[in-house]
Amino acid sequence: MSEQAIRVDGDIGAIDAAQDPLFTLVEAIEDLSLARTVEQVAAVVRSAARRITGADGVAFVLREGDQCWYLDEDAIGPLWKGLRFPMSACISGWAMLNGKTAVIPDIYLDPRIPHDAYRPTFVKSLVMTPVRPKDPIAAIGAYWSTRRQPTQDEVAKLQIMARATATALENALMYVSLTEALERRKFLLRELDHRCKNTLAAVQSIADQTLRRSASPEDFAEAFNGRLGALSQAHELLTREGWGKARLAEVLDAALGGFGGVDGVRVKAGGPAVELTPETSVAMHMAFHELAVNAAKYGALSTPDGRLDIRWTIDLAEAERKLELIWLERGGPPVAPPVRQGFGARLLERGIGRELGGAAALAYERSGLRFTLKAPLSARLALA
Amino acid sequence: MTSPRVILVEDESLVALMMEDLLAELGCEVVASFSALGPALAWLEAQAAGPDGALLDVNLGGEMVFPLAEALQVRGVPFAFATGYGALPDGRFTDAPLINKPVDPRKLGPVVAQFGARL
Repeated sequence: MSEQAIRVDGDIGAIDAAQDPLFTLVEAIEDLSLARTVEQVAAVVRSAARRITGADGVAFVLREGDQCWYLDEDAIGPLWKGLRFPMSACISGWAMLNGKTAVIPDIYLDPRIPHDAYRPTFVKSLVMTPVRPKDPIAAIGAYWSTRRQPTQDEVAKLQIMARATATALENALMYVSLTEALERRKFLLRELDHRCKNTLAAVQSIADQTLRRSASPEDFAEAFNGRLGALSQAHELLTREGWGKARLAEVLDAALGGFGGVDGVRVKAGGPAVELTPETSVAMHMAFHELAVNAAKYGALSTPDGRLDIRWTIDLAEAERKLELIWLERGGPPVAPPVRQGFGARLLERGIGRELGGAAALAYERSGLRFTLKAPLSARLALA
Repeated sequence: MTSPRVILVEDESLVALMMEDLLAELGCEVVASFSALGPALAWLEAQAAGPDGALLDVNLGGEMVFPLAEALQVRGVPFAFATGYGALPDGRFTDAPLINKPVDPRKLGPVVAQFGARL
């Protein structure tokens, strides 16, 4: 009759197919091949396994690290659907940890069974078999409401079901991870496009601002190229950090790289570990670049004796924690205030203060330039 | 003629500086400029009379500007989006003009004219 069930193909009404375990198994395997999620696999398994074994209930259990997750069930009374137990405290855990089938004619005589969890249920005897015994990822349990010795045939059928499930489950997990990877790729492409356009907008702004304040095309080219270089460096640092947060000290290091760097002699820098969001670190990088260009042209970095000291502190005693950063130049040529506010000064005083919801000020002290930034700690600017 | 009082919300400082310039050149008075949603919402709450218009970046460092757009809509303040995304997600605020970044200053003109139309 089993052979007939396969051979008739399309004329299934000729036999009582629903009663034939082999037919149920073939049908289950077909359904499993179409399952795209773990839940779909579980749904096929719970009903097919129950029909094949004739058990009063079936549970499909998934391994989640050191826990067993009772994902789905099909039974005459409620079991443990949706619950999670430690691997060491349930029979499905035992089956998965040992890679072996547990056959238990009387659960109350078996020390592996947590009896308290079973008392509210109908279960008196069971078979629990791991899915993929070499490295179990799930388990299928069949339960009966009477004390009885499960037959070899029942055990074998459940094991066959488990073997068919292994491939389906692996496929479903792979399908899910592939779908997620595709979604992630779509998201990343969209983000890339967004960032690209934002970066172009930043370049547009730099060009616009530089043009407004350039005396000659040569002037423009020099300042624009320098700023473009700084923007590019700022992005390089972000890429290195996986477009995550960057440290203030790293941003400073990168921005001063083209000006002799933070060498601990001529240029000193230090403060607590502070993290910046990508947007803020680009803005800070650009700000430090403007300060460095100015220092190299007119300030402390224009003479061998000049010194630059960048210090930042966070007052932990204050109710609202604030970062205070001071860029202090000494030993350079005497400083005079500029005739008009350039792009750098505007970015430093207006842009950075705005960005961080704080206050930024340039002081053209005769002995050297002083830039002070005070900003509350926030999502953009936080202690690392 | 009175200049329209406009607010700007833009999380990138560099872009904000240019936007402020562009708006000023088109005859607007930029009365407030924000890099994040929270302060912008708080500012709007505190105003007896809303601004005449608003130019909004969509994604503010991962935070969406939409709650502010809703608050502006309630107050009848016209606004436009300036964004690096080609379109707004979920087809929201379809009536509001969408200006793509990088910004074509010529496209900003008609938007600002709409802000000024209420004066």
